[in-house]
Amino acid sequence: MELRVERLTASIDSSEIVKDIDLLLRSGEIVLLLGPNGAGKTTLLSAIAGLPRVHVSRGRILLGGEDVTPLPAYERAKKGIVLSYQIPPELTGVKVSRLAKLIAERMGGEDLIGALSNILEIDYLFERDAFRGFSGGERKRVEVFLTALTRPRFALLDEPDSGVDLDSIKLIAEAIRFMVEELRTGMLIVTHTRILAERVGVEAHGVVLKEGRIACSGRASELLELLEERGFDGVCGG
Amino acid sequence: MVSVVDREKVLKALEKASPYGPDIDLSAYKPAGSVYGLDSSMEGLEESVEKKIGVKPGQLSYLQWGETALAKAMSERFKEVGVTVEPLAQALKKYELARRLAWKLIEPDVDKYTAHTFLYGREAGYFVYVPPGVKTPWPVYTCLSLFTGYDEVQHAHNIIYVDEGAEAHVTTGCLVPHGKSGGLHIGVSEFYVAKNAKLVFTMLHSWGEGTHVRPRTVVRVEEGGQYLSYYALYSPVASVQTYPKVYLDKNANAKLVSVVAGTGNGYYDLGGEALLRGENASAELVSRVIASKGSKIYTRAKINASAPGGKGHIECLGLLMDNESIIEAIPVLSSSKQEVQLTHEAAIGMIAGEKIEYLMSKGFSEDEARSILLRGFLAAEVPGIPPAVKVEIDRIIDYIVRHAFG
Repeated sequence: MELRVERLTASIDSSEIVKDIDLLLRSGEIVLLLGPNGAGKTTLLSAIAGLPRVHVSRGRILLGGEDVTPLPAYERAKKGIVLSYQIPPELTGVKVSRLAKLIAERMGGEDLIGALSNILEIDYLFERDAFRGFSGGERKRVEVFLTALTRPRFALLDEPDSGVDLDSIKLIAEAIRFMVEELRTGMLIVTHTRILAERVGVEAHGVVLKEGRIACSGRASELLELLEERGFDGVCGG
Repeated sequence: MVSVVDREKVLKALEKASPYGPDIDLSAYKPAGSVYGLDSSMEGLEESVEKKIGVKPGQLSYLQWGETALAKAMSERFKEVGVTVEPLAQALKKYELARRLAWKLIEPDVDKYTAHTFLYGREAGYFVYVPPGVKTPWPVYTCLSLFTGYDEVQHAHNIIYVDEGAEAHVTTGCLVPHGKSGGLHIGVSEFYVAKNAKLVFTMLHSWGEGTHVRPRTVVRVEEGGQYLSYYALYSPVASVQTYPKVYLDKNANAKLVSVVAGTGNGYYDLGGEALLRGENASAELVSRVIASKGSKIYTRAKINASAPGGKGHIECLGLLMDNESIIEAIPVLSSSKQEVQLTHEAAIGMIAGEKIEYLMSKGFSEDEARSILLRGFLAAEVPGIPPAVKVEIDRIIDYIVRHAFG
């Protein structure tokens, strides 16, 4: 299956943030989305996921050929397009275990709870309020866990590795591999570092977003190498 | 005990309004009086008890209808394990302990409501005594129901004494029978938790339109004792005003949780004060309130430390469901000792759009997301609540969530 983004332009509060984006994701493949702060990466992911605060003014999103652009976020999630937040909000009184159960029941991921909580080492957080008082690593691991429980066809991971210790990155990378290999999830992952990229597959495709547009694309490993050498100004050959 | 009270002083206190909440003209109410038509009406009441507070009639140890106390079969079963559950009026005649405890934590002249109860209440209410080391095998279910509502006043004077090392769960449901409205309920409660004892007290309030409610509660927790209280109010009410006080001795601990769904023109003034008087005493006061349809909710919480090592935390969280309602949160911390840790958190707002959006991104519709968040908000927990009572609390929270969005 494919998730195709065609000439997508999206704005927040009538200010255009991403423009004319074309993107293709396939089941079981990983695309890394790179770009400096403010390039529009989070807005692009939010637009694909259908969050209400992002307005798509042009273009469309096709899931297996079906135009899902008019659908609200929860309908898209049910069809398999699921966003994993960079900073999920604190949910007072909503225990991780309860939210996991609700999501898993809804999306058919009950059988994944045990395996994923083992991979991400989050059992001890189950009786805590979701994201309340969590460390950076705990927050990311639980968010990836909840995302995976939706059995996403396509997961949009917004910086699952930022502000996270190395041990947590290893666990998150393992969960990503699990999703790709076991669930055949297609992944669009925003990242700033090579650490995660090296662990989820150097063969991944990479896309560089600058000022709301795709500046260039290629093998993620090469782009990351160039990025380290030249920074975002030089990565696309400029 | 009664003889040492200065009756003149109490009579004067009939004019003494509470510092909080709307003042009630007590002359507008007549005592609930004796019950008539008891047999024929009883069935309807028990149905109401089951429906509103989830307690089957057979589980009740004490039922007070208006001011008529009815000892129930369960109190006989408690006798077998040494636990006394009896109407207070009867206990005052039988037990020196009851006489020694009555009107000790709460002076009759505190305000017009305590004075009225002292002078005209005929000591209706319950008396629970748990002997040293005994753990109640079942929760003590008690129920206080107004009779007709309307212009009737119901007095209740309750005493619980959990003796050294003992443990008790007491659940009180207060209601007006289905289809009734109005009335005034005054409940005076004196709870004693002796050394290393534990009392888990749950109070579920389901009043009616037009009912005024004035509970007056004081708790004394001796060294190493623990008092855990869960209070839920989920029905319309004309006004409710309460400010329970908990005195804590050395190493004693208290947690008080209030979950309130305010609605209609109701005036809800709910407070609580923990007085950390002994070394290393600790307390947590938690309130989670939602206000809708023009209701006004005031949440007052105070922790007062006067001994070293005290720890306390106040959490007052409020959700406004519309722009007609009001929530005011007033957390107060006070200490006369340096070596204490007192903190508070207070927040009022609406269900955050960001949180709704987050849950929508995980496959929940907007309405489902609101329900999940509201249920979570209301799910403040008290450790040690018996499973049977927990089921009822969950049912109440379901009810609140179902009715919260119109």
